Amino acid sequence: MKTWTMVMILLGWLAGSGAAMAGEGMPPLKPVQLSMDQKTLQHGAQVFTEVCMGCHSLRYVTWKHLMDYPEIGMTREQVDEMRGDAPLTAPIKTGLSEADARESYGVVPPDLTLIARAREGGGAYIYSLLLGFEHDPEGKVPDGNYNLYFPGHRIAMADPLGWLDHDEDEEQELKEQARAVASFLAYVGEPHQLERKALGRKVLIFLVVLTLIFWLLKREVWRDVH
Amino acid sequence: MLEKMLNTKFAQWLDERTHVVQYVRFHLLDYPTPKNLNYWYAFGSIALVVLIIQVLSGVFLAMDYKPAAVPTGNGFSMAFDSIERIMREVNDGWLIRYMHAVGASAFFFVIYLHMARGMYYGSYKKPREFLWIMGVMILVIMQATVFFGYLLPWGQMSYWGATVITNIFGAIPGIGDWLLQLVRGGYGVGDPTLNRFFALHFLFPFILIAFVFWHVMALHVVHSNNPEGIEPSKKGIIPFHPYYTVKDLFGIGVFLIVYSWFVFFDPTGHGLIIETNNFNPADPLKTPPDITPVWYLTPWYEILRSVPNKLLGIVGMAFAYVCLFLMPWLDRSPVRSARYRPVYRTMLLVFFASIGVLGYCGHHEVTPELLLIGRIASLVYFAFFALLPFVHKFEKNRPLPEDI
Repeated sequence: MKTWTMVMILLGWLAGSGAAMAGEGMPPLKPVQLSMDQKTLQHGAQVFTEVCMGCHSLRYVTWKHLMDYPEIGMTREQVDEMRGDAPLTAPIKTGLSEADARESYGVVPPDLTLIARAREGGGAYIYSLLLGFEHDPEGKVPDGNYNLYFPGHRIAMADPLGWLDHDEDEEQELKEQARAVASFLAYVGEPHQLERKALGRKVLIFLVVLTLIFWLLKREVWRDVH
Repeated sequence: MLEKMLNTKFAQWLDERTHVVQYVRFHLLDYPTPKNLNYWYAFGSIALVVLIIQVLSGVFLAMDYKPAAVPTGNGFSMAFDSIERIMREVNDGWLIRYMHAVGASAFFFVIYLHMARGMYYGSYKKPREFLWIMGVMILVIMQATVFFGYLLPWGQMSYWGATVITNIFGAIPGIGDWLLQLVRGGYGVGDPTLNRFFALHFLFPFILIAFVFWHVMALHVVHSNNPEGIEPSKKGIIPFHPYYTVKDLFGIGVFLIVYSWFVFFDPTGHGLIIETNNFNPADPLKTPPDITPVWYLTPWYEILRSVPNKLLGIVGMAFAYVCLFLMPWLDRSPVRSARYRPVYRTMLLVFFASIGVLGYCGHHEVTPELLLIGRIASLVYFAFFALLPFVHKFEKNRPLPEDI
């Protein structure tokens, strides 16, 4: 029993440091159910190329990946329509140059391939950010640049989906767009994540059986030791 | 079957020329072991398994990794790109990379429990002082290795972590500036730093293996201690094989289940194994709000941070290791196991708790409250070693058993 105290101390330390990692000083993120099905991911890819791609790139994702990743599984026709004259094997890249971006926005928009992995909250952060545009209660930040979920609340990206002052009947559609883009970005951040979990289930079943055999073996061998 | 293999003509031929059969018998089969070793004793074998996982996965990663900070546009670099290529394009690259990243955390988790067991049952005491010293050396080499390795992805935490830690060298009076430039290969952390850290990250495991070898050699001379901390009679001794080979196999199986759960279902450990901010490429112009090392280095980092003077902080951190090295001589009680030492047992548990608290504080941004808690925990850490030489004078041991 005494030895368990030691285990508990170590586990408590790990749990404690994990719990305190969650963001501080920001409003809680909007809850969202991301989906990794073809319908949502294709919708997300479409919104990305129509809206986000105006300023942002996906440096590690090529147009061809949209066909090759089975979870997205777009057809050649769909991809051809989206890519214009960009080569099929080229990364999905914005037409906005770094110099132009600096002149217009003061910053270079970040690449979004890993954005869901690089922000606390992941997909929920992206979803919240897209639906987080509000009027600045202090009236200092111009409309369209005030965001509830961005550190410091002033964001250079101007309300891409048109969430500020949206009509009541648009709300569902905008939420669905934000959810689709968040899902898409969470997917391209780690395109092997579904394969990883599927393989993991098999590996764990194998290891549990193997360990059980080891335990029976141990019990058998130790039978004569007193 | 094993016995048959050792008796073949070829094995005998080899044994006459290099004693291979004798080694196998001495170190793996007949090696005499106390019969009462519990599962805490499996962590040594488990650590060996993790070491093998790290070496193998590391070699395969090195085949596709490019240690170059050369910019490739929009803040990215060749090194960062090559890691993402491993994660996306290389066959099963994601698996190998996660095995390596989770393996680093697993290695420390296992080694810390292995050391805690050694402290609890008094395994550092005569005649096992050298065994213990080799063990602490292994810990130091592991920490250096993991520090070099964490720079390689060239993410935000890689860059800023390396900047903060190498700064420590700069605070040493006289040779500080010279040493800092030697470590970094320039004034700041840059492409030369990445190159040498990669070379050292590849080299250090070889040194680690040498010390592990020596650690095991020393163990096989002085033999294992046991939870009772007394010398067993002949009746209490059993051969390592088959008893502990099967017992360790079961321990390794349980370990692999936990390890695989992290590899496949939580490879970033919610930011504890791979920090969230390290998915942002290194940006020398953007200092992150809180730069903290990964969990296994935080207790020592917190001791460094607790001292207001930078140089004294370094001395304090170095002294924390020195205390560990000196432990066999600081503790003067003739009784080994904490099972029979009520005062030492309580002190040890408070000591473990202080390391936990130090680790927690070191993982977070400094606030006045955390600073105070960190300082108290640092004092508790050192108070443990300061009291050790005197405990036996007033400690009343519980009666020791006759045999195990």
